[in-house]
Formats: sequence, C-alpha cells, structure tokens
Amino acid sequence: MDQKLEQHFVALLEENQNIVHKVCSLYTHDQDAHKDLFQEITIQLWKAYPKFRGDSKFSTWMYRVALNTAITLYRKSKKRVRTQDYDSVIFKIKTEDYDPTEEQQLKLMYKAIRQLNDIDKALVFLYLEDKNYKEIAETMGISEVNARVKMNRVKNKLRTILNP
Amino acid sequence: MMDELDLLKKDWQRKGDYFPKVSSDEIHQMIWKKSSSIVKWIFIISILEFIIPHLFYLFPPSMQLKEGFEMYDRMGITPWFIGASVLQYSIIFYFLYQFYRRYKEISVLDNAKALMAKILKTKKTVTYYIITSLTFLFMTCVFIAGYFYFMDDIEQVLQLPENAKKISPTKLKNIFAGSILVLGIIATVCFGGLYYLIYGLLLRKLNRNFRELKKMEM
Repeated sequence: MDQKLEQHFVALLEENQNIVHKVCSLYTHDQDAHKDLFQEITIQLWKAYPKFRGDSKFSTWMYRVALNTAITLYRKSKKRVRTQDYDSVIFKIKTEDYDPTEEQQLKLMYKAIRQLNDIDKALVFLYLEDKNYKEIAETMGISEVNARVKMNRVKNKLRTILNP
Repeated sequence: MMDELDLLKKDWQRKGDYFPKVSSDEIHQMIWKKSSSIVKWIFIISILEFIIPHLFYLFPPSMQLKEGFEMYDRMGITPWFIGASVLQYSIIFYFLYQFYRRYKEISVLDNAKALMAKILKTKKTVTYYIITSLTFLFMTCVFIAGYFYFMDDIEQVLQLPENAKKISPTKLKNIFAGSILVLGIIATVCFGGLYYLIYGLLLRKLNRNFRELKKMEM
C-alpha cells in the first residue's frame, strides 16, 4: 500500500479516533487493555481500508470494524497485571454545570453497562451513538424487530439498576 | 427529571473529548504492528496442524523408509500402504484447499453475526480434517493390530531376535496386536484432547457471543 494511502488513512483515523476510544472504554477494564484493543482495531481498520469505497462515511464504516474487532476478533492478552481501576480514570468528566447527583447516576450507569455481555454492550454503544434500529440491525446481523426488542430489554435493565 | 438514558446519551457525546489523543505518529507505528486476532491464530494453528504430522512422513531418514518398505513387502501390504498414502494425501490437499477458501471468505466488513459464522465455519473445516485424520490413524492401528493377530509367521515377517522366538507365537501376536491397539487409542485420545483444548480456549468468547446473537433470533 502506498504512502499516500497510509497518510490519508492516518489522518482520517486521527480525526475519528474517539469512536475507537469509546468502543475500547466499553470492552476493556484498564488502560493497558484499552491501548491493546485500540491497536488491534487500528490494525484491522488499516487491513480493511483498501476496501473502503467512500460511499459511506468513514466514521460509519469504522463502527462495524471496531465492534467486530471488540466482540469477535480480539483476544485479550493475559500477560499484564491489572493496574488502576478504569472507571476512576475515564469517567472524570467535569463540566461547568457539574452536578454530583448526576455524576453519581452516570457512574452507576456506566458500571451497569460494563457488566453487560459483549453483544448487549454493542447494542448500547450503537444506541448511545444515535444509530437507528436499521443501522443497529445491519451492523449486528439481526433483524430490526429483534434489535428493537433486545434494546428495550437492555434499557429497562439499566433503568431498574438506577431506580431499584 | 431528565430521563437517565437521555442523560447518559448526552454525557456519551461529550465523553470523546476526555480520552487522551493518539497522535498521527503513533497511528503510523500501530498499523505495522502484528495483529493478535483470533482469525490469525486459527490460521497459524491450523497450518501447523496440517504440516507437523506430515513432516515425519515426508522427510524420513532414507534407511527407515527402505526398511519400512522391506517390511511391508514381507507383510504383503505394499499396495495397501501406497493406496492408503495416496488417499491420505488427497484428503489433506482437499482439506487444505477448503480451509484456504473459508479463510479468504472472512471479512471484518461483514456484519457481526456473519463474521462469527464464517470464522466458525473455517474452524469447522479444520475440525472435519482432524476427525478424518484421527479416524484414519485409529483405523490404521486397528488394521495393523488385526493383521498381526491373524498372522501365521510373525517371527519371520518382523525378523525378531533369537530370544524373542522363545515366546509362543500366539502370545507374541497378542502382545503386538494389543500394544498397537492401545497405542492407537492413546494417540487418538491425546491428539483429540489437545485439539479441543487449543480451540476451546481460543474460541470461547466467540462461541459465547455467537450463541447470544442466535438467541435473539429465537
């Protein structure tokens, strides 16, 4: 693959890297694993890049590769020791309208999401990314009706966790 | 009060800004690193499974090969041996071709379910190969054990040393046939067990996620 293609790809990924980070934050529990998965997704994106035709947005194309890597291709490396608890690193989101109750709710919510299985996490991820059910169904390879039913179940599960 | 999920969605949109940014230099380095994906491991392990057992047959010391053929001649099974080898290698090449086809079909751009199904199908090709090989190995042992058991002139065919001739031919036949049968069973169970252990560990997550997706369709 020529240099121009590589540069083009790197620029696109740099611009859209948040998508990969978000997937990594859902599927890993520490910073080392996050970096590991980020790298594997990057490799898979690069390998698939020659097939990217540009008829969809680069970001849309990334969702599929990133999720496929996280739930299907990625093998967790067992060599590392678990470092700092990931929740405390990632969820330090402070804004001007900081509300401790909201912050607590969010922490609980993220904790609950990360306890879901890989497939439910993927559904929640696509929902949070504002994808419609057609796109969710297409990405996961299930019917739209099933995606809707399953998503409603997951949403109710999350609501129950926050309002026991 | 704002719905919790809306709150989460709003927070999720902001979340991206808080991740440490990966520079273009780092991305450049990353893309040339080695992948550790399941597909790559299935490919490597499968190729080893195809190649390793046959290295023993393909590169035997010439003396051993010669002695082997002399013994097959004395036993009168040379045509059987050649026939079995042709059949065995035809099977191997057939499976190698199937495996290569399956492997090429795998694409990270498929939907999650299709991708998982294709990986599992590729692995299934290797499973069929292993089952065929183990059956072949076991049946060969059964055939040889049976041959020894019904043989009339075992001392002559095997050219046993003098002291072995003190043992009665019936006992000798039983010992040979029994040992080959036991070895056949042990080898089949060991190879089979090793195979399930390797793939079981490798595909645990993928199998679990595939089952989960299939459950949704029920």
